[in-house]
Amino acid sequence: MKHKTLKNLIIALILIFLYLPIIILVLYSFNTSKMNVLFEGFTLDWYKNLFNNRTLLEAFTNTFIIAITSTITSTVLGTIGAIGLYKYNFKFKSFINLLLYIPIVIPEIVLGISLLSVYTLTKLELGMFTLILSHISFSIPFVIVSVRSTFSKSLDTYEEAAKDLGADDIKTFFKITLPQIMPGVISGATLAFTLSLDDVVISYFTAGPGSNTLPLQIYSMIKTGISPDVNALTTLMLLVTMIILFSLTFIQGRKIVGEKK
Amino acid sequence: MKNKVLKRIVLFPIIAYALLLILLPLVYILFLSFCQNDSYGGMIYHFTLSNYLSIFDITYIGILLKSSLIGLVTTFLCICISYPFALVLRERSKNVQNLMTKLIMIPFLTNSLIRTYGWIVLLRKNGVINSALIGTGLIHEPLGLMYNNLGIIIGMTYTLLPFMMLPVCSATFKIDNNLIEAAKDLGAKPLSIFKNIIIPETLPGVFNGSLMVFMPAIGYFFISDILGGGKAMIIGNLIKNQFLTARNWPFGAAISMFLLIITFLLIYIYRKLGGKLDDLGGM
Amino acid sequence: MKKILIILCFLLFITGCTSNKHYNGVVNVLNWSSYIPDEVISSFEKEYNIKVNYGTYSSNEELLAKVTSSKEGTYDVVFPSDYMVELMIEKGIIQPLDKTKLSNYHNINPIFLNQEYDKNNNYSLPFLSTIVVIAYNKDNIKDNIEGYNDLLNEKYKNNIVVLDDQRIVIGLSLMALGYDMNETDINKLQEAENWLKNLKNNTKAYDSDSPKTFFITDEVDLGIMWSAEAILAQEKNNNIEIVYPKEGHAISMDNYTILKGTKNKDNAYLFIDYLMRDDVSQKIIDEYPYISPNKNISNSIDLNDIFNNGYYVKNIGESIKNYDKLWANIK
Repeated sequence: MKHKTLKNLIIALILIFLYLPIIILVLYSFNTSKMNVLFEGFTLDWYKNLFNNRTLLEAFTNTFIIAITSTITSTVLGTIGAIGLYKYNFKFKSFINLLLYIPIVIPEIVLGISLLSVYTLTKLELGMFTLILSHISFSIPFVIVSVRSTFSKSLDTYEEAAKDLGADDIKTFFKITLPQIMPGVISGATLAFTLSLDDVVISYFTAGPGSNTLPLQIYSMIKTGISPDVNALTTLMLLVTMIILFSLTFIQGRKIVGEKK
Repeated sequence: MKNKVLKRIVLFPIIAYALLLILLPLVYILFLSFCQNDSYGGMIYHFTLSNYLSIFDITYIGILLKSSLIGLVTTFLCICISYPFALVLRERSKNVQNLMTKLIMIPFLTNSLIRTYGWIVLLRKNGVINSALIGTGLIHEPLGLMYNNLGIIIGMTYTLLPFMMLPVCSATFKIDNNLIEAAKDLGAKPLSIFKNIIIPETLPGVFNGSLMVFMPAIGYFFISDILGGGKAMIIGNLIKNQFLTARNWPFGAAISMFLLIITFLLIYIYRKLGGKLDDLGGM
Repeated sequence: MKKILIILCFLLFITGCTSNKHYNGVVNVLNWSSYIPDEVISSFEKEYNIKVNYGTYSSNEELLAKVTSSKEGTYDVVFPSDYMVELMIEKGIIQPLDKTKLSNYHNINPIFLNQEYDKNNNYSLPFLSTIVVIAYNKDNIKDNIEGYNDLLNEKYKNNIVVLDDQRIVIGLSLMALGYDMNETDINKLQEAENWLKNLKNNTKAYDSDSPKTFFITDEVDLGIMWSAEAILAQEKNNNIEIVYPKEGHAISMDNYTILKGTKNKDNAYLFIDYLMRDDVSQKIIDEYPYISPNKNISNSIDLNDIFNNGYYVKNIGESIKNYDKLWANIK
């Protein structure tokens, strides 16, 4: 019995460690004081303020435009790439494969500065375009890795069967391959989306005029003191994330139950 | 014939991407690292090894050691937190395990800077933790929890924890229950089970997590800026300074290359230990 | 997949809705962080119907890196300090200013003009100025603080916030030792390094962006900081005392400049002229109490105090590498 209490305590402590800063963040979004120092009273003003804070909204918009464009592009390219690398052999294939792991493992700062130097070299104008390009370039490998994890022998067999039955490549891809690898595609896309939404280091080096993102905006505010409307915005985003995450689990759960029946 | 066209269409984008956005930037950085700089931040294209030699200056070696130490402590703490969590959860039902994995993911999906800022509120001199401790009479003087290495380590551990927890959990959950039951029946003590079954089975997972924790930990300049009070320079700050303050791009490039070599070495060890490259990106 | 696509489309739709305004033109501005209130920018946008893309930096070197690493014409108006103006003129990054396009040019107090870094103000005009001061909390510090050397007292362990600015902090350590602020002699720099190591023992944090926060949250009792930050801290807590260090202080003058290759020249002039207006200058000073060169505005610091015993950071060529190593050594 005592053993069980101890075990629950461990879990509880770890969850507290993980959630403490988040509780603080949510709490202070309702604080009347502008400085995040003492809790002085309850208010909803920051949530109203939020919709008048032009800089913050612009950063929010940019962040989502970048995240969505780079997620879609990197998911499509990554999925096609993973399939290509799985199916075809060519010279230097193992070299290309190795290259694709680099963005996953090298420190972001190295990727950030190396991309920046290339943009400088090629005289690309820093801005939304370079940011999106950078985000695509660090997302693709994650998509490839998670799509690749869904390849299996049975997939090959199904595909061959489909082709024997007269389906062309395109039809086989959409009817057989894609549904099979879908879990990998989805988790790759989710990963790409979250990484893009939260990226500070690479964006810090590759942003230009008019491409301020939420993480960059917060970074520039963090030392001066973050105004509570940022807390309010993050609280709202947190809420949306939780809803999406749990409803996905719910849908998945129902599917599993449905299949069992 | 048609197959060849398809192969080209399928392979072209990914190869173009690998060459243009991964290889080209790195080759260019490699090239820069052999250039000289002028004092105005310009580059002179004249071959030199001096940038690499400067890394071995006592000043910069000190920074390398200090950030490696911070990285190692962070990694160690992440392991210490992940194991008990995974071991306790292993005994629970699939549903609880799924729920808990979701619960670990949620903080991870919130902006990391704002969570770091949350730590400022918690850790500062008259912050939440110190006030609580003084209020309960446990301490009389506020503790120095941030603006030092402790603050950096707390921040790093917090931010990078999921990278360790997820691989350790998935490796632990996969261990065959019968194996442990059998060991118990044979009279093995919990410690010996841990040493002889759990550690070997989870080692690749732990090393995977360590790699994903250690590498960012030496590069995340914003955490040492915010929670360390700018007093400790880690490799990330050093590189950032070369590019943005000292105007010495070639030197910054040389340190980046150095870091890259360390990364490759670690990956080499990881593969020797039986780790799969594909596991690194799967979170 | 469909569901995710639907969610993504929905998000794209929302984000699309929020950015639907049309402007007649843009101006791309890079400025120091916490320098111009948001409100000033948005009223410019409303008045002239020109969109301002506003970015920030926290050191002159970061500004230089951002400008030189992006294509010519990416940014229009930037605000380099004294020595950086000189360097940017030398490197041919900024273009001469046409003062006839600035109707509010006559608002500038002449004592701010013709400074050593740009003798006839051909390329730059002063925007705001600041000096480095020592601030301390009288409540907790009873000693007499007059200069930098007083901060080395062992009593003040972990009790000082220091600017996170390589050139200025090394410069003031040199002044504390009685040398020139821009000294490049290796031996003297070694002495400065030792001096700074002693100061580090007392330093709680290095921060350039908002040292006042450390005073407001009671984290420290002493600080070496920009005058404006000290004044803001004083507004929150009137026990904070401001000292002009007797060994001399660093002046920093930030200037309006227009970059070569700008695509929005007219908008750039409009923006600068707007910031020179009396009411706008006043609004800026109200929020960030730096020293305004606008002669119609009363400053919180006596102008004689600024230039008396005040020194500029200068370009030191190759010696910057020694400075950089010294700084890495301290940290």
